[in-house]
Amino acid sequence: MIIEIENLVKSFKEVKAVNDISFSVREGELFAFLGVNGAGKSTTINIISGTLKRDSGRVAVCGYDLDTNAEKIKNKLGIVFQNSVLDKKLTVYENLKYRANLYGIFGKDFKNNLEEMTELLDLKEILKRPLNKLSGGQKRRIDIARALLHKPKLLILDEPTTGLDPKTRITVWEIIEKLRKESGLTVFLTTHYMEEAADSDYVVIIDAGKIAAEGTPHILKNTYASDFIKFYNRREEAEKYFGKLGYKFKTERDYTEVELKSTSEASVFFKEKPELFDDFEILKGNMDNVFLKVTGKDLKGV
Amino acid sequence: MTEIKKLISLVGRNTKCYFKDKLTFFMSLITPLILLILFVTFLRNVYLDVFKSALPEGFTVNGRILEGIAGAWLMSSILSVSSVTVAFCSNVIMVEDKINKTITDFQVSPVKSTTVSISYFLSNFFVTFLVMMCVMVIGHIYLAAVGWYINVGDVFMIIIDCICGILFGTLLAGIVESFVSTQGALSAVATLVSSMYGFICGAYMPISSFGKGLQNILGLLPGTYGVGILRNHYMNGYLDALTKAGLPDDSISVIRKSFDADLTVFGSRIPLGAMYGILLGACVVLLACYIAIVLIKNKKSK
Repeated sequence: MIIEIENLVKSFKEVKAVNDISFSVREGELFAFLGVNGAGKSTTINIISGTLKRDSGRVAVCGYDLDTNAEKIKNKLGIVFQNSVLDKKLTVYENLKYRANLYGIFGKDFKNNLEEMTELLDLKEILKRPLNKLSGGQKRRIDIARALLHKPKLLILDEPTTGLDPKTRITVWEIIEKLRKESGLTVFLTTHYMEEAADSDYVVIIDAGKIAAEGTPHILKNTYASDFIKFYNRREEAEKYFGKLGYKFKTERDYTEVELKSTSEASVFFKEKPELFDDFEILKGNMDNVFLKVTGKDLKGV
Repeated sequence: MTEIKKLISLVGRNTKCYFKDKLTFFMSLITPLILLILFVTFLRNVYLDVFKSALPEGFTVNGRILEGIAGAWLMSSILSVSSVTVAFCSNVIMVEDKINKTITDFQVSPVKSTTVSISYFLSNFFVTFLVMMCVMVIGHIYLAAVGWYINVGDVFMIIIDCICGILFGTLLAGIVESFVSTQGALSAVATLVSSMYGFICGAYMPISSFGKGLQNILGLLPGTYGVGILRNHYMNGYLDALTKAGLPDDSISVIRKSFDADLTVFGSRIPLGAMYGILLGACVVLLACYIAIVLIKNKKSK
């Protein structure tokens, strides 16, 4: 396990930001940590990265206990913050050099690491440009390069794609995927985008400082999310039929959506009432449904 | 050893960040230069008259000595005030790092928080020294034009005096601005210090012109001695020239007292060595406070 957290508690005056949570992260996996603002995500990240003291509980990263080996943990961690914290007036090269120096990486070692990052993240064209002259996507690449310069074992991404346009979001994810494949990097992700969480290996949903649900996206979807059939034709007959059976349905402009209890039900109805199924779609429940069901909160617009 | 290399790198980073913003450097430099221009434009004649009135009736002297001593007295005022006000303005990187959350990036890196704090102090010291030296060179060009009677030894001591003043100013700025975390508060503090400090250290008006009670109160403030040491080394050459021109020792003594080259506090004359002792002693106390604040703040932030 690359992260082990046991009974973690952190309060700010009367507010219990993190209330007795335990979870672990396996080496090499993409771990998603979901929650609305104020759920306790950032508090947990700050504790793991050693910038915030916990009230109680145990935290170990890469086998090192946070209490006794905080410095060693810092060498194994790379963090991409929600907003860039690099020096906007300095060039990309200067930023990366000064940050690498903080890890004891100087001279030739820095040049070697920089070469690798330049190739991996395609930085050659922008190395001499000041950070404040770069686009949002380019800045994100530099943030990732800064987090990876010292070759960490664990990369923490705190809402890395918030505020980025869809194209840049895809680019950022392509980079992260490439890194995971090539170096077996463990990625600890917090995000508001459920489609990003859906691609992860393991998900923990935190709500009001407590773990509300956890598991692989597949298990979570099977446990908490309903499947749906969308009828684009013969909508009235479908509504009548499922209404009689006591199923919930939603009438939209182009279709009627019937919520199923399980995926296998669809094949039963297909056999029983094949005439209804001349223009239809069967949809698996997604992580949005999981999140809504588990927390009662909609992540959209958070 | 690595921590020292990290410290050097951080000082380089802070200094580079400061000089990348040309406006910040310009603003730090322009304030003392404006003071110099205002003094020369509006107060030169006033101080010339005051110096003339201190001479015995019928005593004539080369006009360049009088022009020079008035200018030198003004230079001692400007440099002593600037050592504090410029330090407060130049410490902008420390505050900006808090505003931009760059400090969090340092906290997650394997660099000691004390190293980061020392780096702010050292870079501020370096930047303030550069600005002061620029002001000093411009001021000395003016003095050379109106009447130069300062010997090489005194120029060397003026630089030493500046270093003592900058040490005092940067430590004071480091302490006060460690509690500042917004741009507005930084501007407010810098404005307050710029407008007040010149009066409370006796730079704008000779302390001897104040009432005995106020003289004693100002004598308790270490900044007063930062002005005193500069007054001595700026006026020495001119007073020697006046002695050579035949001015009696009594009159020299009156000028020294009237223009704060000799400081009397609670009825005792403070010798030059004691002035250095008080100023450097204050620096030691400020350094202890600075270290204590850094340690307490680091403990609290966790």
